[in-house]
Amino acid sequence: DISALSGDAGVANISVDAAIGGSTYQHSRVNQWSSSVVENCLGQLTKLGKPFKYIVTCIIMQKNGAGLQTATSCFWDNTTDGSCTVRWENKSMYCIVSVFGLAI
Amino acid sequence: MDDFQTAEETTFVVDEVSSIIKESVDAAIGGSTYQHSRVNQWSSSVVENCLGQLTKLGKPFKYIVTCIIMQKNGAGLQTATSCFWDNTTDGSCTVRWENKSMYCIVSVFGLAI
Repeated sequence: DISALSGDAGVANISVDAAIGGSTYQHSRVNQWSSSVVENCLGQLTKLGKPFKYIVTCIIMQKNGAGLQTATSCFWDNTTDGSCTVRWENKSMYCIVSVFGLAI
Repeated sequence: MDDFQTAEETTFVVDEVSSIIKESVDAAIGGSTYQHSRVNQWSSSVVENCLGQLTKLGKPFKYIVTCIIMQKNGAGLQTATSCFWDNTTDGSCTVRWENKSMYCIVSVFGLAI
């Protein structure tokens, strides 16, 4: 269901902007921000009412010169399942959100 | 007796998956120092290794494996995940590994078919 994926990217972007849009990286708040992003995304995805199980992951990293590499590998049904990853950044941090949708 | 065996075969067993993850990470980056030019190959190696071993278990599951490798540089890193699934059969396992130069965080999600 490929049309769902562009919707997922939109959902992810909206959730990140809403949670951390104008913010600067703060160690004391980052836990709350990442939870907020994933819950927000998941809430919007489930409202779509499609017969899917979802997994949403969010990484927030302070901009400090450190190298970061992420990789994912999936064992699923190629005809019905899919994923979408959005990379977002502002002056002080990176945020990477991945959404995986698996048909029931 | 039969019911117990069936339950074992169709639920996500965290301990089993956790050992698979640890072995895969040790095998891929065990004695290594963070190197920008090699990290792409390492992370791919970890996820493929994990997935290979998981599928060999022969359970009726779909799997998603994610791996994050971060250089130790003082930067703060926060990860979160949220899942919409069947609580009775699906599960996840996250392992945090580190050495002197890098952190490696691997998550495995198993969803029953």
